[in-house]
Amino acid sequence: MQVFKLCLKVLKKNIPTMLIYIVVFLVVSLIMSSALSKEMQADTLFAQKKSNMAFISEESSPLIDGLKQELSKVANFVELPDEKEALQDALYFRSVSYILRIPEGFTESFMKGENVRLKKTTVPNSYSNTYIDLSINKYLNNARLYVRHIENISQESLVQHLKSDLSVNTSVELKNKSDKVGKHIYANYFFNYMSYSLLSVLILGMTALMLVFYNNDLRRRNACSPLSARSINLQFILASLLFTVITWMIMVAFCILYNWKNSFNLNTVYFMINSLVFAFCGASISFLIGNLVKSANAISAVTNVVTLGLCFISGVFVPLELLGDSVLKVASFTPTYWFVTGNNRIAKLAQFNHSDIEPVLSCMLIQLGFALAFFAVALVINKKRRFQ
Amino acid sequence: MFAHIFVNRLKCLLRDRETIFWTMMFPLLLAVFFNLALSNLNNGEIFKAIDIAVVDDNNYQYDQYFKVALDEASKGDDRLFNLTVTSKDNAEKLLNENKIAGYIVVEEPIKLVVNKSGMNQAIIKSFIDNYMQTVSSINSILLKNPAAQQELISSLSERQQYVKEVSGTNAEPNNILNYFYSLIAMACIYGCFFGMREVTDIQADISPLAARVNISPVHKLKAFIYSICASLVIHLFEIFILLMFLRFVLYVDFGPKTGYVLLTAFLGSVMGISFGAFVSAIVKKSENIKIAVLIGVSMTGSFLAGMMYQNMKYTIAQNAPVLSYLNPVNLLTDAFYSLYYYDTFSRYALNMGFLCIFIVIFSLGTYLIIRRRKYASL
Repeated sequence: MQVFKLCLKVLKKNIPTMLIYIVVFLVVSLIMSSALSKEMQADTLFAQKKSNMAFISEESSPLIDGLKQELSKVANFVELPDEKEALQDALYFRSVSYILRIPEGFTESFMKGENVRLKKTTVPNSYSNTYIDLSINKYLNNARLYVRHIENISQESLVQHLKSDLSVNTSVELKNKSDKVGKHIYANYFFNYMSYSLLSVLILGMTALMLVFYNNDLRRRNACSPLSARSINLQFILASLLFTVITWMIMVAFCILYNWKNSFNLNTVYFMINSLVFAFCGASISFLIGNLVKSANAISAVTNVVTLGLCFISGVFVPLELLGDSVLKVASFTPTYWFVTGNNRIAKLAQFNHSDIEPVLSCMLIQLGFALAFFAVALVINKKRRFQ
Repeated sequence: MFAHIFVNRLKCLLRDRETIFWTMMFPLLLAVFFNLALSNLNNGEIFKAIDIAVVDDNNYQYDQYFKVALDEASKGDDRLFNLTVTSKDNAEKLLNENKIAGYIVVEEPIKLVVNKSGMNQAIIKSFIDNYMQTVSSINSILLKNPAAQQELISSLSERQQYVKEVSGTNAEPNNILNYFYSLIAMACIYGCFFGMREVTDIQADISPLAARVNISPVHKLKAFIYSICASLVIHLFEIFILLMFLRFVLYVDFGPKTGYVLLTAFLGSVMGISFGAFVSAIVKKSENIKIAVLIGVSMTGSFLAGMMYQNMKYTIAQNAPVLSYLNPVNLLTDAFYSLYYYDTFSRYALNMGFLCIFIVIFSLGTYLIIRRRKYASL
């Protein structure tokens, strides 16, 4: 087992560099996955978190007071001085996400049935703002019905009517399965991020290994040793697999330790299987890169370009739902895409019947296919390069 | 003498392909990745119709208005729902298999059954809320004015938008821009690799080349300044290419103040190079350690400035405002953003002021460490 031992020695020498990557990635993925999963959970609750808004009114009337009262169901009011700079800063630092301005003369024109509008300034792309918009539109549209069809309705009685109308609510029945599904958001993000760190560390380790082994002088020396080529290759593969599995284990262990409470269920098992399959895929990608890269200097460049590229287009850093169709088409030719898709499907699993599991399995099979394909290409290149 | 050192240094640096890759190609590649991943975010939310079911019983068939409202919402290309009308058992089954987001039971009041709470479920609920509240309004109007029934129905369909977006400034608020701005800031601070090389090649105890340079009859400070000029020219050129690429290929908006954007990039580049020189002078360890420190600082800085996760920047600004001024990457990002977003210059000036302080500290530190070094033996 000389070759095997040598491999481990080479890998051991590279532990410091890899450790930096592992630690940095773990810290970043822990921060990111908990931040994002918190954000997701806040968005998904029925009792939505109230967002902060500034309500600036240039006039006051019962109608506007009614509106403000209605808005207090979805927002907290923050007092701000009506100065441009202060308002800009407030939006910028997110102390409010929505500024509503009611222009002077609004009530009068509205009561006459004219087409008038309120002005808003917002932090873009914020879900909670949609609720404020909805709430305002609902209030004023209903008010418009009254104004149009009951002549000379007074503001006070209008507000009274609206108040009772808008207190009507849908009753919602939430089946108790619910919290079980939400529990996996964290693991889902963590495992998605793991594709980045796992791939980086695997490429680093494998290329370091191969730069040593495929050094021409060393290869010639090894070729005339009494060990058969088969035994050398087998030991080499064994060492790479061991390295892959250990890297995988370290990362999974962190997830379980950090997420101890929600870890003991079938979903976690599937997450682990999926990531193990991806780890093998990553190993064969690294094997291919190791065959292509000729100098130590190029390793870090290639590592970064490959891992960042794969992760950006296939939904690791930016969720799949937000990617464009054309990007997704390209992404479906990468194993990371199928890994992430698999994870997202696992996170939603609540039952483990054959029909539920099947889509997850197909994701894993596709990754295995990729692993074989990369490995085959690497072997062909390897054969051509031999003893040049 | 200046021309000689400058030109040869230029050649020297341009042949260092690794540094050129990290300082120029890497930011360009990242910009492409950002663009691929984020371009869709600004084109509005991608809404896909929600699958729902409604329980087909007497109540549902009897409630004509609700039926019409649901049908309306499930028709056309921009429909809200994909509606299945089915039995209660089947609806329950569909829900368990996650084929639908929820199902509706028509009773008093209307009930929505879901198995989790999410965006889609909130939309369904809000749709039903809206319907019931409008019905309540209509009922109370009809009590007072029974003649209005026909008109009411027609005015129901014309719902209005009552709020319009006015920007706080002349610029549209845009979330994606921060990613690109922090990317430029990262490219600027990556100038540190040039700064590091300059110090490595002038300190006789670090490299043989520097030992040779030191015994030449040129004043050390002059030789250092001339060759760092070459670094600065190359790096500025790289940043310029990045800015051009962002502006004219990826259409990233920098606002109207082009001159100031270039000034910011210039100062950023100076800051990056002086930062690298400073770290290289102060860390007396192997080159690998120096690189690790440089990458560590610039990546942490970029992370805190929101390059990987935009909200990080706001979290820092709210919870630890001091940190946002101690982070040169954030200062640069913020400077670009305030040029784009604000009409006034106060914020921009503040950022640039802090940036200049950093440049002075780094340059002065480097100068004090590398001046007048004499070696008895090497």
